[in-house]
Parts: sequence; C-alpha cells; structure tokens
Amino acid sequence: MIALSVAAALAVFLLYTSIAGGGTPSLRPSTLSGHAGRVSVAGVVLRPITGDAHGAGLHFRLRDKNGTATVPVVYTGTVPDAFKAGGDIVVDGRYMNGVFTAIPGTLITKCPSKYTPKKTS
Amino acid sequence: MPELGRAALVVCFGLAVYAVVAGFWGAHTRRRRLSRSAQNALVAAFVCTIVASVVLFVALARSDFSFTYVAQHTSRELPTPYKLASFWGGQEGSLLFWLLVLTGYSTAAVLLDRKAGRELVVWVVPVLGIVAAFFSMLVVFVASPFRTQLAPLNGAGLNSSLQSPYFQIHPPLLYLGYVGLTVPFAFAMGAMLSGRTDERWIVATRRWTLAAWMFLGIGQLLGAKWAYEEVGWGGYYAWDPVENAALMPWLAATAFLHSVMVQEKKGMLKVWNMLLVMLAFSLSLFGTFLTRSGVLNSIHSFTEGSIGPWFLGFICFVVASSMALLFTRLPLLRSKTKLESLVSRKATFLYNNLLLVALCLTILWGVTFPILSEAVRGEAVTVGRPYYNFFLRSFGLPLLLLMGIGPLIAWRRASLSSLKRVFFWPTAFAFAIGVMLIALGAGSSIPGLIAYTFSAFVAATIVLEFVRGTAARRTLSGEPVPRAFASLVARNRRRYGGYIVHAAIVLLAIGIAGSSAYNTSRSARLGPGQSLKVRNYTLVYRGVSSARTSNAIEQRATIDVYRGGNRIAVMHPGKNDYPVEQQISNEVSIRSDWLTGEDLFLITEQINGNGTIDFKAIINPLVNMIWLAGLVFLLGSVITLWPDAREERRLAIRYGRLAPEASA
Amino acid sequence: MLAAALVIGALLAVAAVWFVARPFLSRSDEAPAAEPPPERLALEEERDRALAALKELEFDHRTGKISDEDYRGMVGELRRQAADALKALDPEGR
Repeated sequence: MIALSVAAALAVFLLYTSIAGGGTPSLRPSTLSGHAGRVSVAGVVLRPITGDAHGAGLHFRLRDKNGTATVPVVYTGTVPDAFKAGGDIVVDGRYMNGVFTAIPGTLITKCPSKYTPKKTS
Repeated sequence: MPELGRAALVVCFGLAVYAVVAGFWGAHTRRRRLSRSAQNALVAAFVCTIVASVVLFVALARSDFSFTYVAQHTSRELPTPYKLASFWGGQEGSLLFWLLVLTGYSTAAVLLDRKAGRELVVWVVPVLGIVAAFFSMLVVFVASPFRTQLAPLNGAGLNSSLQSPYFQIHPPLLYLGYVGLTVPFAFAMGAMLSGRTDERWIVATRRWTLAAWMFLGIGQLLGAKWAYEEVGWGGYYAWDPVENAALMPWLAATAFLHSVMVQEKKGMLKVWNMLLVMLAFSLSLFGTFLTRSGVLNSIHSFTEGSIGPWFLGFICFVVASSMALLFTRLPLLRSKTKLESLVSRKATFLYNNLLLVALCLTILWGVTFPILSEAVRGEAVTVGRPYYNFFLRSFGLPLLLLMGIGPLIAWRRASLSSLKRVFFWPTAFAFAIGVMLIALGAGSSIPGLIAYTFSAFVAATIVLEFVRGTAARRTLSGEPVPRAFASLVARNRRRYGGYIVHAAIVLLAIGIAGSSAYNTSRSARLGPGQSLKVRNYTLVYRGVSSARTSNAIEQRATIDVYRGGNRIAVMHPGKNDYPVEQQISNEVSIRSDWLTGEDLFLITEQINGNGTIDFKAIINPLVNMIWLAGLVFLLGSVITLWPDAREERRLAIRYGRLAPEASA
Repeated sequence: MLAAALVIGALLAVAAVWFVARPFLSRSDEAPAAEPPPERLALEEERDRALAALKELEFDHRTGKISDEDYRGMVGELRRQAADALKALDPEGR
C-alpha cells in the first residue's frame, strides 16, 4: 500500500514537470541562438556598464564563463548588491535580434565565493 | 603552530581508521577489549580535533596571516567576533568544524548513552568511525586549514554579507543539525549489523534525533531571517539549492520522528524507519556536497575544487552499503502487525509520512533536475518558484490539515459517531473564520484562504486538546487548573510538547500564507520631498546622508513614514560600501508592526547622482508570525526533549540495568 | 614555536596511543552488565506496548475522543492482549 502511494505521488509530479514544460533552459551566451522563448542565461559581466536599471535600462555585455562569445543585455529592475563587471550572473529573458532583453527583476548574482580563495591583494 | 594543527589532524585520522578496523573486528569476534579500545580511539579523535580547532581559533584571533586560511578569510580591521566566526566561513575551516561536531557527538553518544547496551554500541563505534575517517581524510589530504604561506601584510577580509551577527550563529546551528543526523544513522546501522533490530536503537537515539532536528529547524529559520534582512529582496526563501539542502533532511527527519512512534506502539514500519534514517543522513551529506562543488548554477554555489568528487563518492558508498545491509537484514525486520483501520491516528501518521517524503523527493527532483537534464538532453533546465510552490501547496496544505485531524482521532479505530462529535467544534470554528476572512478580502488568494482556514482548524484542535486534557487530569487528581495543566504536560511531555511544535507550524503556515499570498509592492523614483503611497502608509523621501565606520562607508536615505496623518517612524534604508572587500551591500530598513504582525520593508535600490533615489516599498502581512513560530518551535522541542524520570526508570528496568523490584 | 608545536604534537600522539591501548593493559576484566536475551526483550516490549495501548485508550476515553460504547467494545480486547503479554513473561520467571 505504501509503495503504491509513493509511486502515485511520483507519477503526479513527473507528469507535472513534463506537461508544464518543466523549467527554463539554462544557457550561456554561446548557446543562446535558436532559443525563442523565455530562457536563463549565465555568464560574466563585461564593461562598459551604462544606463539606468530604474530608468531606460541598464546596458552591458555578458560573456561565456569559459569562452569568448558575448551577447548584449538590456535589463530593468532590481540590481543585486554584488553586481559588477567581472562578476558571475544569471538572468532570465528573451533573445531577439541579437539582443538579450531581460525580464525585470530576474537578475541574480553569484555570492562572491565563500569557499574559494579570494585573490589577496 | 600550523604543524601542531596538522599533526593533530593526522593523529585524528589514524585514530578514526583504527576505530573502524578495531571496531568492526572487535564487534565481529566479540572481543570486548578491542571494542573498548576502538571506542577510546573515537574519544581520542575528539580530543585531537579540539586541539586542531584551538590552533585555528588562536591563529584567527591573532590574525596570523602565515596561515593561508586566515589570510583568505579575515583582515586586521575585522572585529574579533567575526575573525573567530570565520572558522566556519571557508571550505577548510567548515570541514574541520564538521569534524569537531561529529567527533563531539560521537563521543557523547557512546559514552553517555546508557540505554543502548554494549552489543549495539560495539557496532555503532565503527560506523561513526567511517564518517569521521572520511572527514578527517579530507582535512588532512584534500583541504587542509593549516596550509602556510609567506604572510602578507593584510588578509583579504570577510565577505561583507557575512559580517552580520547571524553569521556567528546560523552556521553552527545548522551544523549541529546536519551532523547530528549521523548519530541515529550510526545506531540504525549498528542495530542491523548486530542483528538486534528491536526498539533499542530507536529509544537510544530518540533525543539525539530530536535535538538534531530542532537545531536544523532553528538554523533554517535563522537563515531565512538573515536572508530577509540582509539580502533584502522582500522575501525569506528562494528555493535556492543551498536552502533546499537543509530543508530536505529536515523533512525526512520530521517523517522519521513520527513514524518511530508507530514502530514503538505497534512494532510496525521497521523497514520504513531504516529507509527514512538512511534518507535523512544521505540528504545531509548530499546537501553538503551541493554547496561545495560547482555542480549547480546556484547563487550560492562555490568552488569547482576537488572536494566534490570525494563527497559524491562517499555518498554513493554510504547509500550502497546501507541498502545492501538493509537487504540482507530484511528477514529480521519483518513485522507481523497490520494496519487495522484507514481511519485511525496510526493511519494519519502514515499519510503524514507519505506527504512529507513526497514533498522531500519533489524538492530533491527539482534540485537535481538541471544536472540530470544536462546529462540526458545536453541542456541544463532549471525549475523555478512555480514548481516548488505548486508542490508546497499540494503536499503542505494536506499536511497542515492532518496536524489537526491526527490528534482528534483515536489511536486504533474511530467510529463515525465519535468522529462527528469530536470534529464539530474545530470545523465550525474554521468555517466561521473562513467566512470572516472572505468578508475581509482574503478571497483574493485561494491557497492563502485555505491555509488560513486549515490553520484555524488546527489551532482549535490544539487548544481543545489542552483543555480536555487538563479537565481529564482534574477529574483524576482534583488539582486546581494551573497545576493540573502543568502536571498534564509534565506527564505527557512528548504528546504536549509535540502539540506545541504543531502550534509553531501553524504560526509558520499563517506567516508564510500572509506574506506570500497577500503582500503588496510599490516602486518609484523620488526626489527630496516626494512621497509614495502603499496601502495605508505614506512614505516621504527627505534626503541622503553619509557616514564612515571602521570598514565601511554608509549611505542612508531618510524616509518619513506616515499612517493616518501621523508620522509613526523615520526609516533609513541605504547601502554600505566596503573598500577593502570592494563590495556594496544593500541595507534594507524594516519596520515591524507588533499589533498586526506585518512588516513595512523599504529598499533603496539606487542612489542617483542628481539627489533622487529609486525606491521600493513592500508590505508583508503577518510575516512576523514566522519568527514567532521559531520561538514556539524551540519551546515545544525543549519540552519534548526534557528527560522524564519515570520513563527513564521504566526503560532502565526493561534493559536490565535495574532490578524489577525497583519499579514504582 | 616550532619546537613547542612538535613537542605538544608528540605528547598528543603518545597520549592517544596510551588511551587506545588502555583496555589491553588493565588487569581487571570488568564483567559486562547482564543484558536480557533478545527473546525476553521482545516479550517485554510486547508487554509495554500492550500496557501503553490500554493507557492510551483510557486517556482517549477520558478526553472524550472515544464514546462510552466504543470504549467498552475495545477495552476487553486490549485487556486480553495485555494479560497474554504478561503471561508470556511469567513462565520465564520474574
């Protein structure tokens, strides 16, 4: 009886994840092309960072963590504290006409590593 | 000095390995001295770990930058409490901290426990030794806190977001929880290895499991409060893998705490309990693995480092060997009793277990989905809030209801007439509350409304339990109400302590429902003198000021808060700039209204050059219930943990430590 | 500093070895506390369970969760189970 119920529960959520289209694809700037809908892109922030996230939009380029491909990003909404050039971020949005237009408020920065050594000056 | 630390850890590693080998050999061949020797090795390992820890603490306090670890995580300007707390702020130190807690728990468990009995403990020692050997191996060979270098002039400093009093208490509490789950696991394995699969291992570990579960729960709530105040997006839980890493073992442990009651009362579910304790322990290791390897794209995920593969290997070893052991001992664990009725308290415990485990597994699935989908489809797919919220509601709301139904039903069987009688008042109360809430506008969120109504139901049942219990006690003893109440709780600590914990969960549910289903958020760009209106608050921006502290430049916006025409507060949300660490942190301003339990949450998102600020205001209704729930949770857990002299005596007689004539 | 560290380290190692070897060095053979055999333990657990179930039934009855007739129906069976459990222990000598 227990086994049956557990199996039923498992079936329910497996169904949900596959039907609801599951989650958002996690991509890098180099793998962006070809994806039409809402996606998540992760990468390193590059200078120059211009504009106003609470105004017309913050403009910067995002580069592959381990690569050279870059993509221009336009973002409005809350900017987390740790956001700066050279930092790792993840942001949701849509890739259209060569520009990644972000969904407001979806920018997340990776916490400066607790567990990796920081470069001592 | 680092040499002493290193040496102490090497000795510790050697002792742990000896404890494993001698422990298994001594238990297998029934050689008492060998088992005793293995046990001593475990205790000695603890002493060695203390020595190593003292070395690191002293180095941190003295800012001895010849220790690479000290230089990486502290600086001269760092206040001393944070210097010391950095012990667990980095990879190597936190592993040493884990080892310290582990060897400490192991020593306490094998020395203090009178109920377990020799035959069981001789097998528990080597199992604990295996875990100790793994962690000491890591700190000796893979990630040593005692690496040295040419001392630089100053250290790199502590990450600004960690410079908070929470840093001094949240990680240690979590570790006490995570590591604490090792003890019931080791006893469960010991029970199977020794062939003594009676209740003894459960009775011996009950308090350890409860304590670990309590620490894990409080640790998580503190973490949520920390995130709420420090990260400042207005929320307290982001379903981030690191947060889930602590939630999953806690859910498994909650299920375990309930199902062991069924095993104690009916002798059933022996196999299930073994599986649960294995799940809880494996999840606690898995959680540690997740937060340390670069495996997930999380905002918390850290180094790529060489730690990851080791952890993964160890987890696989633990799961495989414990499952194999379970399989071979299956005949010993078969029980004869069957479930009598689907409508009994016993059955509700089973449903509770199924729901908790289901929730735990769906979270696990959500956490590992990106890794699996990348392996299978070549593309990592992450699941977001909607996934987790869906399942939290699907499983959490029925769980909430069960908390109320369970106590009302008799243990064995319940007839329809007694059910009707006993359910009437709580149901009526919940119904009335529901109607009132709809009138107040709570119908805007159906899950929120359901959560509130269920909470009302459960609250009513808990109150009734206390009332009926006290009344029953009074008919027996004729004591006045307060004394009857006190002796009722004292004689039934587990039951009534448990009810208090349930009350805490109800408060938690109310707080979560209020702040997530009924919150309001407004943003604006304001110049000096301009205002923003949120619900019944009017917020007027006055200006920005700047101040210097020992390691930061603090900018604060001054906001006057008006409600109903009166100025009720002045708040100062802003930002801190840390030059040494080159970081900027958001310092939100929160005003808690004690009457309504709601929070006014102000964030200065951006301070612009022309004197304007971009500003966000959030109202979180009832969010303070969550923190109140933490206190009630602590109270309930402590009551349940409190030693019960009569029960101790009964168990002592049963396990042969006292002669039967000594019974009361 | 280094010398002090090495000395303390050496002392630690020696102390650890001594502590681990202690059980083999002591003459006295402490007799282990008499542990009841597993079968008796199982019977005692059975007895405790039966008695606890009776207590629980009484409590549920007194706090009004079980009606009088339900109580009358169930108490007989539970009392019999408890008596059986006690009897099973008796021939083993109490």
